[in-house]
Amino acid sequence: MVKLENLSKIYQQDIVGLRNINLHIKPREFVSIVGQSGTGKSTLIKLLIAEERPTEGRITIGGWDITNIKRSQIPALRRQIGVVFQDFKLLPQKTVFENVAFAAQVCGESNRKIKRIVPSALRIVDLEDKADRYPRHLSGGEQQRVVIARSLIHRPKLLLADEPTGNLDSFNAQEIVDMLLRINDFGTTIILVTHNSEIVNSLKKRVITLDNGEIISDKKCGKYTL
Amino acid sequence: MFSSFFRIIKFAFQNFYRNFWLAIVTITILVVTLFSITALIILNVISTQAVKSIEDKIDISIYFKTEAEDIQIIKTRSELLSLKEVKEVNLIDREQAMVFFKERHKDDPTILESVEILKENPFNSVLVVKAKNSEYYPEILKVLDKEEYNQIIEKKDFSDHKIIINKISIIKTKIEKIGLFVIAFFALIAALIVFNTVRIAIYTHRSEIKIMKLVGASNWFIRAPFLVEEFFYAIISFLILIAVFYPAIDFLQPHLNYFLEYDFDLISYFKANFALIFGLEFLTIIIINALSSFVAMKKYLKA
Ligand SMILES: Nc1ncnc2c1ncn2[C@@H]1O[C@H](COP(=O)(O)OP(=O)(O)O)[C@@H](O)[C@H]1O
Ligand SMILES: [Mg+2]
Repeated sequence: MVKLENLSKIYQQDIVGLRNINLHIKPREFVSIVGQSGTGKSTLIKLLIAEERPTEGRITIGGWDITNIKRSQIPALRRQIGVVFQDFKLLPQKTVFENVAFAAQVCGESNRKIKRIVPSALRIVDLEDKADRYPRHLSGGEQQRVVIARSLIHRPKLLLADEPTGNLDSFNAQEIVDMLLRINDFGTTIILVTHNSEIVNSLKKRVITLDNGEIISDKKCGKYTL
Repeated sequence: MFSSFFRIIKFAFQNFYRNFWLAIVTITILVVTLFSITALIILNVISTQAVKSIEDKIDISIYFKTEAEDIQIIKTRSELLSLKEVKEVNLIDREQAMVFFKERHKDDPTILESVEILKENPFNSVLVVKAKNSEYYPEILKVLDKEEYNQIIEKKDFSDHKIIINKISIIKTKIEKIGLFVIAFFALIAALIVFNTVRIAIYTHRSEIKIMKLVGASNWFIRAPFLVEEFFYAIISFLILIAVFYPAIDFLQPHLNYFLEYDFDLISYFKANFALIFGLEFLTIIIINALSSFVAMKKYLKA
């Protein structure tokens, strides 16, 4: 699903984002990426959605070499990838339904299709009954679940979650992770960036540890070791 | 595709009322720019007309001696007509001159009486010569200085008006220079304000824009609402211009006729040239808007 070959990202003034990353993630995998802050986890996510360009190496997603992707091709790439970011919030003046629908509208989906796909996305995150609420009337965990529902609107084969549990207590955090597991069960490849050792340890899935822009460990059933 | 079109329109209108005062300022400066362009066009048209109306009055009147024979006068006329500088030559013969004189003094019985007393018609034939261009008169006068003409011509009357035409031309060039400067000034301000409006609209919608980008909305879909919004401003300011323009011209017209001394219908002029004048003005405003929107988007809407 995702193949990274000798991938490096050096920012201006020689700041290392990532250095010589080789990584292969298979379809339907659930991969956690851990590491201290400033070790290049978000850089990796940004490279995958072509928000940043690699300095060296090659990125292939689902067989598509996006290393030198054209600007006009980026929307097509992003419609195949769901993203859940910490700072990628809901629009406060829109209801839950409208927030999810917005993502479909701006990509040119028809109103009829939107009426069908938004409820089904909300059903996956168990929020069908709160479709008419505004974000401020939802808990932090519920808000994050709406964000996940929004990221599912194009039925992505790959879901990238960058610290989706960052601001949540452990109960809500666990709830989010359960959602991600469920989505993974439907067949979507998940890349989860997190700080939360409790979660990583309970997952018993593949864990990749980054340090200073390099992979220092990649374990099939890993633990959070820092 | 159809729903995208409506969504873009909807987003554009949201931009409009979310930054309502900014929209008002933008429209105002666009209107001012349009008015400065239109005012310059009006001044130009009027001054051109003024010069033309004075140039129309220039002519040479050739008064023939009483002994000049009709055949000589007609020969002179056709010789003048054969000159390439001459536009027209009108003959006012003795009888007509008499009629004109009586007509002109019809309210003055003593003058009329004094003419009636005379046995012979006291008037002589006159040729009125108009040149194709006011520059040609010296040439024509030179031709008339020939010996053969001297014998039959009593006097030549040349109404020049050169000084006043020169004055109007100088004023006209000055108005044009100042006008162009004023237009450039307002156009620049308009460009800056449109730029700023788009910048602020982008800023107010930064969350939406971020979401649109991350969920894969196409670049044109993200940009189109800003362009539509600016296009909408251009149309509104243009309609305001048209709405104020014709009544203003209506008001101006009587004063104009007095000034130009003969009927020149500004409204019909602007109606006849509507597409050209207002089309160009609209194009100017659209270009200003599109350019500064593009620059603003290029700067603030990076991938
Ligand atoms: N746009 C950028 N310009 C310059 N340096 C950056 C930029 N983004 C991230 N960095 C640097 O790259 C390194 C990795 O950052 P990041 O990938 O955000 O780390 P993490 O997500 O693991 O905390 C850090 O040293 C950070 O300061
Ligand atoms: Mg990060």
